Parts: sequence; structure tokens; C-alpha cells
Amino acid sequence: MAAFDFAPLIVLLPFTSFFVAVAAAIWRPNILPKGGALPGIAATAGSLLVSLWVAVEVLGGGRTAETVYVWSTGVGDAPELVFSLLLDPLSALMLLIVSLVATLVHVFSLGYMNDEDETGLPRYYAGLGLFTASMLGFVVAGNLLMAFIFFELVGLCSYLLIGFWFREAGPPSAAKKAFLVTRFGDYFFLVGVAGVFATFGSAAFAGPESFPAVAEAALTGEASVRTFGFGTQTWFSVLGFLILGGVVGKSAQYPLHTWLPDAMEGPTPVSALIHAATMVAAGVYLIARIYGFYALLPTVLAAIALVGGFTALFAATMGLVKREIKQVLAYSTISQYGYMMLGLGAGGYVAATFHLMTHAFFKALLFLGAGSVIIAMHHNEDMWDMGGLRKRMPVTYVTFLAGSLALAGIVPFAGFWSKDEVLYEALVHGLGGSPILLAAYGMGLVAVLFTGFYTFRMVLLTFHGDPRTELARNPHGVGWNVKAPLVVLGVLATTAGFLNMVPVHELLGFPPEYLHDWLAHDGGRSAFAGLTSEHYGELLHDWAGYSTVELSAILPGLVSLGLALLGAGGAYALYAGDDPEEHTEKLGAAKTVLYNNYYQDEYQVWLTDSVVKPLSRTMDTFDQGVVDGTVNTVSSVSLFSGRRLRRIQTGVVSNYAVLLTLGLTALVLVVGVLGGWFA
Amino acid sequence: MAVPPSYYLLLSAALFCIGVAGVLTRRNALLFLMSIELMLNAANVNFVYFSQFWGNVTGQTFSLFVIALAAAEVAIGIGIILVLYRNFDGVDVTEATTMRW
Amino acid sequence: MIIETLLAVTGLAALVTFLVPDEYAGRAAAVFSVLPLLGSLLLWARFNGAGNALVDGDVAFESAAPWMTLGGYKVQWFVGLDGVSLPLVVLTTVLTTLAIISAWSAIDERQSQFYALILFMETTLLGVFTALDFLLWFVFWEAVLVPMYFLIGVWGGPRRKYAAIKFFVYTNIASLAMFIAFVALVLAAPVETFSLPAVAAALRGEQIAGFLGLTPDLLRTVAFVAMFVGFGVKVPIVPFHTWLPDAHVEAPSPVSVLLAGVLLKMGTYALLRYNFTMLPETAAALAVPIAAVAVVSVLYGAMLALAQEDLKRIVAYSSVSSMGYVILGLIAYTLYGVGGATFQMVAHGLISGLMFMSVGVIYHATHTRMVGDMSGMADRMPVTTGILVAGAFGYMGLPLMAGFAGEFFVFVGSFGSTTLPFAPIFTAVAMFGIVVVAGYLLLAMQKTLFGPFRLDTDYEVHGAPLRDTAPLAVLLLCIVALGVAPDLFFGMIKDAVGPILQGGGL
Repeated sequence: MAAFDFAPLIVLLPFTSFFVAVAAAIWRPNILPKGGALPGIAATAGSLLVSLWVAVEVLGGGRTAETVYVWSTGVGDAPELVFSLLLDPLSALMLLIVSLVATLVHVFSLGYMNDEDETGLPRYYAGLGLFTASMLGFVVAGNLLMAFIFFELVGLCSYLLIGFWFREAGPPSAAKKAFLVTRFGDYFFLVGVAGVFATFGSAAFAGPESFPAVAEAALTGEASVRTFGFGTQTWFSVLGFLILGGVVGKSAQYPLHTWLPDAMEGPTPVSALIHAATMVAAGVYLIARIYGFYALLPTVLAAIALVGGFTALFAATMGLVKREIKQVLAYSTISQYGYMMLGLGAGGYVAATFHLMTHAFFKALLFLGAGSVIIAMHHNEDMWDMGGLRKRMPVTYVTFLAGSLALAGIVPFAGFWSKDEVLYEALVHGLGGSPILLAAYGMGLVAVLFTGFYTFRMVLLTFHGDPRTELARNPHGVGWNVKAPLVVLGVLATTAGFLNMVPVHELLGFPPEYLHDWLAHDGGRSAFAGLTSEHYGELLHDWAGYSTVELSAILPGLVSLGLALLGAGGAYALYAGDDPEEHTEKLGAAKTVLYNNYYQDEYQVWLTDSVVKPLSRTMDTFDQGVVDGTVNTVSSVSLFSGRRLRRIQTGVVSNYAVLLTLGLTALVLVVGVLGGWFA
Repeated sequence: MAVPPSYYLLLSAALFCIGVAGVLTRRNALLFLMSIELMLNAANVNFVYFSQFWGNVTGQTFSLFVIALAAAEVAIGIGIILVLYRNFDGVDVTEATTMRW
Repeated sequence: MIIETLLAVTGLAALVTFLVPDEYAGRAAAVFSVLPLLGSLLLWARFNGAGNALVDGDVAFESAAPWMTLGGYKVQWFVGLDGVSLPLVVLTTVLTTLAIISAWSAIDERQSQFYALILFMETTLLGVFTALDFLLWFVFWEAVLVPMYFLIGVWGGPRRKYAAIKFFVYTNIASLAMFIAFVALVLAAPVETFSLPAVAAALRGEQIAGFLGLTPDLLRTVAFVAMFVGFGVKVPIVPFHTWLPDAHVEAPSPVSVLLAGVLLKMGTYALLRYNFTMLPETAAALAVPIAAVAVVSVLYGAMLALAQEDLKRIVAYSSVSSMGYVILGLIAYTLYGVGGATFQMVAHGLISGLMFMSVGVIYHATHTRMVGDMSGMADRMPVTTGILVAGAFGYMGLPLMAGFAGEFFVFVGSFGSTTLPFAPIFTAVAMFGIVVVAGYLLLAMQKTLFGPFRLDTDYEVHGAPLRDTAPLAVLLLCIVALGVAPDLFFGMIKDAVGPILQGGGL
């Protein structure tokens, strides 16, 4: 159990590096060598090592869910609010992914930020450290409250890092948008958290008291919970949808995806971190984390699948026409997270987790590769100014190609296996009696075609053909600190898929589906039986009505592979050659719509600028005019009457004497009349 | 030979009425002050008479207080009148209206 | 006697400061204000109270002496602390010391009078939070207005007279309504004292007589409403909030700190002590309108803040919004609801204090508070900007800062309240405030702090000196400390609010 005793270090190490960098930023900006990169690298590498140790422990059957800190003690019925550590196969896997990507991003930043003589580096590394710490804290969170806390901190860090170049106009605006849009989603999440506490009295993820377990018991009638006048399952679905709101915001699903492309204003390593391992991954991970709850709710699952499928397709189409390399990658991220949502909604818990993992590797690779290209191009991101970089940047090219093949889903690169499995799960469950999943499957399948197309359009425009500008002819060289992370991730993007080759396993009975096995077992600890994919399978069958048909994995795999190749081939046909031309104009009006992202930004901006702001100004007028006006009217009544009445106060003593005399006379008369003197 | 009580009261009332009339009609501050003195003395007449009527000295004592009070009042009143004269070049009380609203 | 000593030392400090020459007054006042600060920390360290002071609790540092008898009613000097009032006492002393330090730069005339009034106000505020006899409490309650009136009216901005008179008259009329209502309750109740615990016991015990033709139930309702309005003006709740932005805009920044940080809490504290402790059945019967007022305050205040251009008005309206959460928590009548509301008082006191203070630092450097007049301040004032950003996120309820703890407790408590019908809906609607607050604060920060540097008033802007940033940093530390370990205060708060709860829920 020793590894688990050290597990808090996974979070605390990057947190310490945050403090070190902040202290340096305030007192001695130049005291840290490399602007604070080294503490960051050391801390994340330390986290990676401890994560590895934890993973080994988990492999040996270790599991833990322990309270590490009591945030608010409970009194009577009121629940205790705690920070707890949940280490099981899912969190151990995610810890590895996050700490690995974070370490590589730190190393890469040496090349991207330090070597480019950026200012404010301690602030940058402070942000990275806090970002990593928050995400790791989120991953190990053992209850919904702690998850929410770190979920929000992740949002804060994205704000700080996207807005890193605060002296320009664009990044602060993008940072604001990222925080605000995800905050909108988090609002629903927070309502959901309050609702979960009010309903179950606990928000723990694991154990018999955990809210998924209580929810299951409540549905079978073994436990009773407050459902606020709704049917039990209806109320749980409401809660599920509320929590889903946070997921949709953070994982940039339609309609809250608009912040993510803008977030490209931040430094590229930050984009890699946001897209691959932190922020955006947090949403999907949350669903996987409480899958025992979602598996009970067929309505919510269907919604997740549909949102995911739609987003996968929708974002892929927008990626088709973009000019900037990072924009293409941004839309591919939205699209790929759509696949993960599709997988989760379709009952493919393992498939979605698998895709989360492979995507983390290949998307981090692609972003870092793009970062390398951007360094080389002196921070010009327009692909139409590139071309022919293949020969001048061989390492970047080869690794970027590996990442692209993985993204497009070409066998045998990692993305193929995981995307294929997601689609396969959607298909078998859809055919098995949940036809709505087939619609999601269809959208996901079409998106494969587009993914292949935009991926290879990007590769061809960037690396192939003749250089189109002087910059591309003489690119800036990149150092080891850029190449090393690329190579590590390139290897992973190529091989990570071998962990779980479902079609090959079916064909040969070999090799084992490692990831399935990893997630399936409780390590002999019954308290964790509720967190296994086996258990989720039962729940899906019993409550969501998901059943599978006997269907070979090979044919669907070939179909999606064929579509990916078709898309890639299309891109080759249009954009290969020494001097490709822009074909986007041929799309006509569709190009305008795609280029403007279906006017999603426009309507959201319209909503704030033309609805909310005028409304607030109207309310301000109302407040000043009517509410404050009433107050001022009341006071003006007394002022007015005072102005009139003071006329009596003439300042002439004789008048006062008259009044006195008359008053006395009147008094005497009244007393006299009442006293009966004149009777 | 005893004078009937009503005579004293009539004297006192007459004095008081003269005082009141003076206060109401005069504009000269000095006459104002004198009229007030008349009213106070009207009260004094009553005090002294009823003191004798009841055969104790309470009323006489009280009239001494009133006289002392009147003296103090005159001191302050004359002071005010002097300031009035200085600021308004006259002792007409209807002129001094700058302190109103 | 420790509370008496605290009050006497603070009052004496005010007197002495008044006599200190202007150039030393700021330093002297800061040193003097450390005494009550240490005193309050001592009270905290040695706090041994349990339960609610008004409901059979063990009152800590209790001290009583007969004062006078009014028509058969005993009036006492009666002070003491419980888990609700102690955090507010600590809040008062901490904020006063920091406000005094932050005034060193901001105030440059009549310093000795200014600092003397601040210390005098601290005395009266401490009196409000410690007094346990109605008349004694009322004397302190009214006395707070006097220094505040002068602080706004003498050291304020261009419309200071209007703002000061509006503040004074508005809150004073409200106090009148509250005073009459409470005295009517005391006359109707079977007590012969103004001691709050005794009155609370009598009123909670269902045994009051009618009064002036009102039946007991009607009397309770009328008195509840009158006191709710009377305290609500101070809180302030919509629609009695319009004095607040005017007062904040005109008041100098250190005074705004105390106005938002402590004075508003008098209203919510009094609501908790009187309305919600003494008349729980009436409160429960009026739960829906009260919750509606809370929700409207949250959203209306937030929307108004969105429309403002003056940084101080933004923070002022957001105070209206934040106080709405407190009302929502109180009416929930659950441990987390009422406890969270009390915690939110402290949290909001610290955070709004931080916001007003940092706006004051920026104002001192730029001589403008208008959002449109500047941009890119982060370039010139990095430390101030950093703290302001942190404070703004605290205001938005960022986890691990005090504001989140307060709001989250309120939300958890009110969501499942059985006292309040439709509690989940009220809670969910009120919670939307956390989105709007993020909207206007982020927008204002983007416009003023980030982007290329520009300043329309053409002042030479440098980083703020340490004496300006140090109080900000201390406040930020307090906010984070309370956010990470809310049980520092929340433990005793839970203990103190437990006895007044009724109904179910968390």
C-alpha cells in the first residue's frame, strides 16, 4: 500500500511548483533558471513516477478510496464534505496520461517559450503547474464536490494561460470566453452537485454509500431517497442532465463548443495540455468516473450519444475549410471528444476510455508538432504560407504524420483501434434494440470521412509541395527539447492502440484486450465492484435496456477504415502536388457557413450583446428611474412640504409673538370649552 | 380695609394685556423688552398678592426669582439689541430676518 | 470583562487618535487598531461558547450588569459571543486594521478626524455584534450611522452630501420601523426585560398576547415584515438597495471597504438574530415571498452590475447580489443553509473588502474608476492586477476561496430545504447568479486590466507601493485560508445555528 500513501504527492508536487513560480514571479523574476521551467519539469516528472508506482500497485489489485482532508465536518443529518482520494484502474490510467503529457509539455515549453525569449515565464510555469495540479486533483477526486472544485480550478487555469499574452487584445477576450462558456456549463454541474447532496446525502464515487450505488438501490426499491415529487428515474435523469451540462461545457460539445477554437490564442503548449490531457478531457472523464450513475439512465445516455455523434460530425465539417493549422486541430479536438461522448452514451465505457487515452497521445503530439512548425514559421500559423516543410523538419514531419494517421484512424495507428471500438459499440447496441444509437453511429461514421480529409489536407498543406513563402523556405530550427517530446508521443501514438485490438483479438484470439481486462476487475475488493466495466455492463443491460447483437468487429472496422482512407485520398487528390490551389471556394455558400462556424459564435455574441446587455441597461434605467426614483420622490415630498411650511418661520419676532398669543388664546378657549367654563 | 381680590387680578390682567399689546404692536426692540417686563411684572403682582392672601411667603420668594430672571433677561436682551443695532443699523425687529430659511 | 475591555480600548483609541497630529494619525490609528485585532484573536483562541446565544446556548465571555428600568422593563448592559457573532467580530477588527492601512495613501486631509471616526465606528460595530440586550444593541446599531455619515459626507466624492444624507435617512427610517415592531413584540410577550435571550425564549414559546387590536399571529406577521424591511434596507435587499451604490461611489475606498465588508453584515446578522431566530414559524409561513426577494436580489443585482461603467458601482451592485444568497440561506432553515449564510457574511466581507481596496489602489494611481477610461493596467500594476484578478475570481465563487465555500453551503442547504416550498427551483434560479457575476467581472477585467496599455486621464502610473498592496495580500490570504479550511469559522457557526433550525434538509 506504500504507493497509495504517496499518492497525494501526485497532486501536491505540481502544486508546489506553482507556489515556487508564483513566489519567483513576485519577488525575483530572474532567480529561477529557465524562468521556472525546471521546478515544473521536476514536479511533473515526479508526479509521473508516483503515478507509475500507483499504476503498478493497482495492477496488483490495489484499490483505495480514502478521505484525505475534511473540508467541512458533518453535524447530524448534514453530510461531511471531504476531499478523498479514489485510486482505481480508471484514475490510475488517467493519472499516467495527464502526468506524462504534462511533463512533455513542460519540456516542450523550454523550446517554445524559453528559447523564443518570452517574458513573464514564471507566470507561465505557475499556470502550467496549477493546471497540472488541478487536473490531477480532479482525476483522483473521490466525490462529486471535490471533482467540482478541481473542475473549476482547471477552468481558472485555462483562463490564466489562454490569456497569457495579456498585452494583446485577442487573448484576454478568448480567455474570458473560455471561462464564461465553461462556467455556463458548470452552473448546471453545480446545481447537479447540490441536487446530488440533497437527494443522496453523499456524493462519493465509490463504496456502498456512494451515490451511484444508492441510486441503483433506490431504483430497485432497496433504498429510499428524496426525489422532490418526481418519479425516481425521472429525477435521477434530471440530475444526470444537470451534471452533463458541466461536461458539455468543459469537453466543448455542441452547443458550448465555441470557446475552444478561440482558446487557440494561448501559447501552443498550453493548447496541447488543454486539448489532450486536462480541461477538455475532464468532461468526458467525469462521465466515465460516475458511469455507474449514467448507466441507470437510458434517456441521458441517448442524449449523450446523440450530442457526441452530432458534435463529432458538426466539428469535423468546420475543420474542412480552416486556414490556420491550430484551428484545424481545435475542431478535430471537438470532433474527437464527440466520439468519446458517443462511446459513453452508446454503452462503450471501455471504448471511450480507450479513445480518451489514445487521443491524449496523438492530440498532444499533433499540437506539439504544430508548435514546432509554428516556431519554425516564426509564429505564422497560416497553412497557406507553409508547404514543403517535410524536408526541412524531418523529425517533426514523421512524428506529425504518425499523429495524423492516428487521428484519421488509419490502421495500425492508435486512433484506429479506439475510434473503431467506439463506433462498433454504438453499432452493436444500436442494432441490439436501441435504434436511436444508430443515428449517432451514422453521424460518427460520416465524420470519419471528414476527419480523414481535413487531417491530410493539413499534412499536405503544411509539409508537402513547394514552400509557398520565404518563411517556409528558411524555417527556424528547433532544439532537442522540442524533438524529444515529439518522439515520445510519436511512439505512443503509433503503438498505444495495441493495448486493445478488438478485431485482431477476435480474429486470432491474441493478443489479449489489455484495457478491457484492466478496467473490468475490482481486484478482489468488493467495495470497488461498482466501479468496474463488468458492473457497468450489467447496469446498462438491466436499466438502460442495452443489449448487443452478435456481430463481428471486423466488418465495421473495415468500413470505417475505408471511409478514413477515402477521406485521406480525397485530400490527396485535391491538395497533393507541388503547388496546390484552394478548393474551398468551390463550396460556395457552404464555405462561408463553414468558415463562420455555422454562425454559432454569432448567435452567442448576439445573445450577450443584443439581448443580455440591453436588458441590463434597461434594468439599470428602471432601477435609477423607478426604484431610486421612488426613493427620491418620497424624499422630495418631505423637502417640498418643508419648503412650504418654513414660510411660517418669517424671522419677524412680532409674528412669532402673534402666533404665541393666538396659540395661548386658542388653548385657553379649548380648555375652557372642554372644562365647561362657558356652560 | 381690605381691597377685594378681583382688583388685584384686574390690575395684573391689565398689565399683562398692555404688555401683550406692546409686544404685538411695537417694532422697536427696546419697547419689546419693556413690554415683556410688563408681562413679568403682571405675574409678580399676582404672586405677591396671593402670597399675602394665603399668608405664606412662597409667592414672594417666587417673585424674587422672577425679578432676578428678568434682570438676567434684560442683560441678554440688551446685548442682543446692541448686536442688532450694530448689524442692521437700527433696533427695528422686523428688519432682522436674515436668519430665516 | 474581556468584551468591555475590547470596546473600551477601541473607543479610547478613537479618542487618542483624534488628538494625534494629522501627519502621524494614520500610523497611530494602525497601531491602535492592532489592539482590538489582537483582542478579537484572543477571544477566538479562548472561545468556549456552545450553541446559540439566544436559544439556551452557553454564551462565551458573558457579562451583564443592570442599567436601568423602563416602565417595569429591565434594561441591562449585557454582552457575550457565540459562534455566529465571533466570526463577525474577527471580521470587523481585521477589516478595520487593513482599511486603516489602505487609507494611508487614499486620505490626505483631516487625517486624525478620519481615523478617529473609523476607530469609533469599529467600537460601535463591535458593540452591535456583542450586545445581547435590545436597547443596548439598538444604541450601538444607531451609533454606527454617525461616524459613517461623516466619513461619507466629509471625505467623499462630488455628491457626498446627497449620498451621506440618503444613507443616513434611509437606514434611520428603516431602524424606526424595526424598533417599533420589536418593542411591540416585547410588550406583547410575557417578559419584563429587553434581554434578547429572554425575549427569544418567550417569542419562540408561542405565548404572546395581542397588541393594539392585533391578534398574536397578525402581530407576529406584521412585526416580522416590519423588521424584515427594517433590516433589509441595511442588507440591502431589492428594492431597498438604491442608497448603496450612491454611498459606495461617493465614499472613499477605505470607507467602502468597511461599508461593504461589515456594515451590510449588520443587516443580515440582525435578520438572523431577530427575524429568523425569534419568529421561525412566521418566517416559514412567509418562506416563498422571502425566497423570491432573495432570488430577485441575486439576479437583479447581478444584471445591474453588468450595466455599470464605474468599477465601484459594479462591486456595489454585486454586493446586493451576494447578499441575496445570504437571505436564501437563512430562509432554507437548514444547517448548511443558515450556517452557509453566516459563513457567506464573513466571506463576502473579506472579498468585497478586497475588491473595494484594490479598486481604490487603481483609482489612486489613475484618478479614474470608469471602465472605459483605461485598459491594460496589468502592464503597469502587475501585483495589484494579480490580486484583483484573484479577488474577482473569489467573488465569482472560485473553489478553495471563501466565497465558494459560503455559496456552496448555501446552495446545498437550500436545495433540499423542507421549509421552503419549491426549494430546488428557487435555488437553481438563484445559482444562475454565479454565471452573471463571472460575466460582468470578467468583462470589466478584460477591459481595464488587459489589452494594450491606455489611460485617458494621462497620469503617470507606477506599480503600487508595498503599503497599498500588503493589505490586499493579507486579505487574499485570509480568503484562501477560509476557502481551504472553512471549518475555522464554519465549525462554530454550525454549532451556533443548529438550535434555531426547524424542518428537514441538509
